[in-house]
Amino acid sequence: MKITRFLMRTQHAGWITLFVKTPIKPSCFHAALLRPPIPRICIGQEARWIHCGSTVYKDKPDNSDLSKLFENETKAKSLVTHDDLFERTAKDAKNKASFNRVVDVFNKQDIRRRGHVEFIYAALQKMPEFGVERDLAVYNKLLDVFPKEVFVPRNFIQRMFNHYPRQQECAVQVLEQMENYGIVPNVETKVLLVQIFGEKGHPVRKYQRLMYWLPKFKHINPFPVPFELTQDPIDLARFSLTRIANDLDAKITVYQYPSTDVTETGEEVTQPHIVGIQGPEQISLLAKHNPNRPVFVEGPFPLWLRKTCVQYYLLRADLVPPEERVQDEPDPELVGPNQCLFYPWQIDLDLSRDMGDDFSYDVEDVEEGPVYAMCMAGQGDQATLARWICGLQETNPILGRIPTVFRLESGSRELQTAADVQHDSGQNSQSGSEQEHIIEEEQLHSQRMKQ
Amino acid sequence: MNFSRLLSISRSLKLSTSLFPPPARLTAPLQPRRSVRTSPSSAAYAKDLFLGKVNQKEVFPYPEISNEELQEINQFVPPVEKFFSEEVDSKKIDEEAFIPPETMDGLKALGLFGIQIPEEYGGLGLSNTMFARLGEIISMDGAITVTLAAHQSIGLKGILLAGTEEQKAKYLPRLASGEHIAAFCLTEPGSGSDAASIQCRAKLTEDGKHFLLNGSKIWISNGGIAEIMTVFARTEVVDKDGQKKDKITAFIVEKAFGGVSCGKPEDKLGIRGSNTCEVTFEDTKVPVENVIGQVGDGFKIAVNILNSGRFSMGTAGAGMIKRLIEMTAEYAGTRKQFNRKLSEFGMIQEKFALMAQYAYVMESMAYLTAGIMDRPGVPDCSLEAAMVKIFSSEGAWICTSEALQVLGGLGYTKNYPYERYLRDCRILQIFEGTNEILRMFVALTGMQHAGKIITGKIKEMKKGNVGTVFEFCKQKIMENLGKTANFGLTGKDGVVHPSLAESATMFEENVVEFSSIVESLLYRYGKTIVDEQLLLKRVADILIHLYAMTAVLSRASRSISIGLRNHDHEVLLANNFCKDAYFKINYWTAQLQRHSPENNDDNIKKIAQFVLEKRAYTCSHPLDRTF
Repeated sequence: MKITRFLMRTQHAGWITLFVKTPIKPSCFHAALLRPPIPRICIGQEARWIHCGSTVYKDKPDNSDLSKLFENETKAKSLVTHDDLFERTAKDAKNKASFNRVVDVFNKQDIRRRGHVEFIYAALQKMPEFGVERDLAVYNKLLDVFPKEVFVPRNFIQRMFNHYPRQQECAVQVLEQMENYGIVPNVETKVLLVQIFGEKGHPVRKYQRLMYWLPKFKHINPFPVPFELTQDPIDLARFSLTRIANDLDAKITVYQYPSTDVTETGEEVTQPHIVGIQGPEQISLLAKHNPNRPVFVEGPFPLWLRKTCVQYYLLRADLVPPEERVQDEPDPELVGPNQCLFYPWQIDLDLSRDMGDDFSYDVEDVEEGPVYAMCMAGQGDQATLARWICGLQETNPILGRIPTVFRLESGSRELQTAADVQHDSGQNSQSGSEQEHIIEEEQLHSQRMKQ
Repeated sequence: MNFSRLLSISRSLKLSTSLFPPPARLTAPLQPRRSVRTSPSSAAYAKDLFLGKVNQKEVFPYPEISNEELQEINQFVPPVEKFFSEEVDSKKIDEEAFIPPETMDGLKALGLFGIQIPEEYGGLGLSNTMFARLGEIISMDGAITVTLAAHQSIGLKGILLAGTEEQKAKYLPRLASGEHIAAFCLTEPGSGSDAASIQCRAKLTEDGKHFLLNGSKIWISNGGIAEIMTVFARTEVVDKDGQKKDKITAFIVEKAFGGVSCGKPEDKLGIRGSNTCEVTFEDTKVPVENVIGQVGDGFKIAVNILNSGRFSMGTAGAGMIKRLIEMTAEYAGTRKQFNRKLSEFGMIQEKFALMAQYAYVMESMAYLTAGIMDRPGVPDCSLEAAMVKIFSSEGAWICTSEALQVLGGLGYTKNYPYERYLRDCRILQIFEGTNEILRMFVALTGMQHAGKIITGKIKEMKKGNVGTVFEFCKQKIMENLGKTANFGLTGKDGVVHPSLAESATMFEENVVEFSSIVESLLYRYGKTIVDEQLLLKRVADILIHLYAMTAVLSRASRSISIGLRNHDHEVLLANNFCKDAYFKINYWTAQLQRHSPENNDDNIKKIAQFVLEKRAYTCSHPLDRTF
């Protein structure tokens, strides 16, 4: 599917160049423009002319600026004009307002909307850059660039064959991008598409498919991550830790709030934040931990929240070898049928469940060492994490008697975006010693696995 | 339906590997019995229903009391009734959450604090039947009912059942007179019905003469006013092997021993006049003589007390409904709407029929059980008593609610006592073992009983013994074709009056179905049946209704035979109830069959699991949109 679409697109691209070189036959445009304008139709509360989208008639910001751009535009006749147009407007800021302004400029410059397909393709590409890739209004505005009525097939032959394939493909591409970003189109989109391509065009079909599937997928993720993550590191840590722990009983403790102090000597001392999570079950497990065996503070481990990567640390222990496991010997007098005061807790029968009613199945349980607590901290150094362990001792006094081993890898930063990661890997090739360190750790891990 | 189950059983038989073992007939290997109760079980009516046996001798004819006893109880009743209707101000008790001392003195003077204490210890020494009769009247006030029940049905029952002569002589007279009030201290913050989690601890002092009691108990009825308490605590016991073990021991603790403190009385929904609070023991010195039974016997004693105490509420519900019917009927007969009396409307009439039917069934069950309990020997009626408690507590709730409904808005106000009755009777479903727990008790005790006897047969079938299977099939086909369910209840030498013959046949049919369902459940689940609570609930419901049918059949037959007043009405009620119960039981039986479309348990479990996992209602709001 993807590949065919890609091929189609490259084909079109080739065709576009050809098409632009040859003079455009204006007949179709004229046909539409010469017809008397259909009076008005009402969409919602907003009445507008069909031939021109609503956005065109909205009052424009700074007309002088626009006219200047328009002049520039007319001067440049090359293919890359549209990209240029975006680049030039975005000198000051790349945001929704400037994006809209570019679209307005394009709409204004030529009543025939010459080159609108190329413009829309260029705009689609630029959308993420302007941060409007999730904005339904912008997509609608973009679709509004298409001239109305012109591409609507008017007889059965046109309807049978692909009428204005390039335009249809372009509109489908707009919808495709909406789909990829999970934007559900609205009625305005539909009205626009019907006006542009008619009731049964490919874009309308695509719209219908989107409207069938996208709402169904909207809440498919049982653990949703918001598009806009909170900037506060403590809130972010709260969110991430609850997400990993997925335990409604677990309690989040902020062991240290971030703060910056200036010492007498003028040095800045930054206190990183430390946020930890621990459930009651983990507390009771830790209380039963054999104090002769160490617990490990391990990390950092990555957690991706959309495009943000956060790091967390674990307090864990190795699996208790079977010979050391202490069975809680239940008192035979108190457990068993005599445990419950009101009814027999077990019944004494020599019959087990019938095969036909035994719906249990074998589950291969791979046992792992227990994880006693989790935390996120502003800094991943041992001193910071030691403070976390100190904080934990308040609820888990046994930690004072258990040797704690820090096995930290050299990840230092709490917040990383996708760009940062690439940046890091590209720029600083890590020093040899550090890599060795990691390898050592890995070996340790594997050795433990073998044990 | 039965036939399909048969097929499925024979299908699973094919799966078993060892074929044709030597034929053996019903040799149930008798396991050493590990019963919860200690008393010998002479009466086993309800238990034997699990095996498809109707021990008619136990329940037919309906138990009677002698004329002397009847006269005696008739002498007792009027003064008590007079006292309750004239001197007890239930509304005030409810509002002030306190029973005034004059009322308490009146109760003491009537001897109501020692109804079942033998006469030699200063009590009234009444039988269970007479106790039940008094219970009907005492139920006029919920708070007093509960106070008295906590005092004598559980509070002092330990001394009565397992105490030594010295303990009885020392404590019972003062308890019987009401000078001292008793309480029963078992529940702890971390231990409801789970004996293993009792934390209260008694430690023997070095001189070996005292126990030091430490710990706290919650929701103790009469906790604040009791002088004498039955307390259960862990003690260290050295067993045969010389190992130290914790066991539960029961103690008689006087408040005067010191170190006993009680918290603020709980503010409750109903029975507000009764005292419920937390009791804390701090180094309370209890002499070793005050141990009830032996050290370490606490568990059995607790179970015995609970099982025998449960019956005390049996007639309270019936008494309450009878009074409600009178009050509500008066209203329905006088209030007019559209120029017609309320009592002429069908939906109002239905409510009265329902109330009358419930009252009749509850009475029948309670007095039948009381009659069985009063028989010589110590009959084990714990199952029956639990069924009476379940049925009457739920019936009381439904009927009170319906009575309130007849009055509409008026019933909802505090001007009428309905709301108080409604609040008061809600507790019946909760205390003395919640109805859920008692259902488990009823079903599992019966399953255990049936299992012991038919295990051998089922094992043979599972092995694929042709003889057993053939016999089983023959029996099932005969049952299905001929409907040969006949226990001799009707007919020439029948114990049921011919006017109830149809109901008796329905009952017999249900018993047969029930026993075959029990067998199939045991076949399918074996001892893992304890985890199938939804199935056990239905088993318990079926048994309760079977027992209720027995009770009404027996009572109505007796009434009609000896010509009691309005016996034709009783026959009507009995027939109506039996028909109702018959269809209900049929439905439950159908649900219990394998692959039954009526059974929705899997979905119920899934829904509950999802909701509990999220700990919230999980559906989107009906106004939510996705686009």
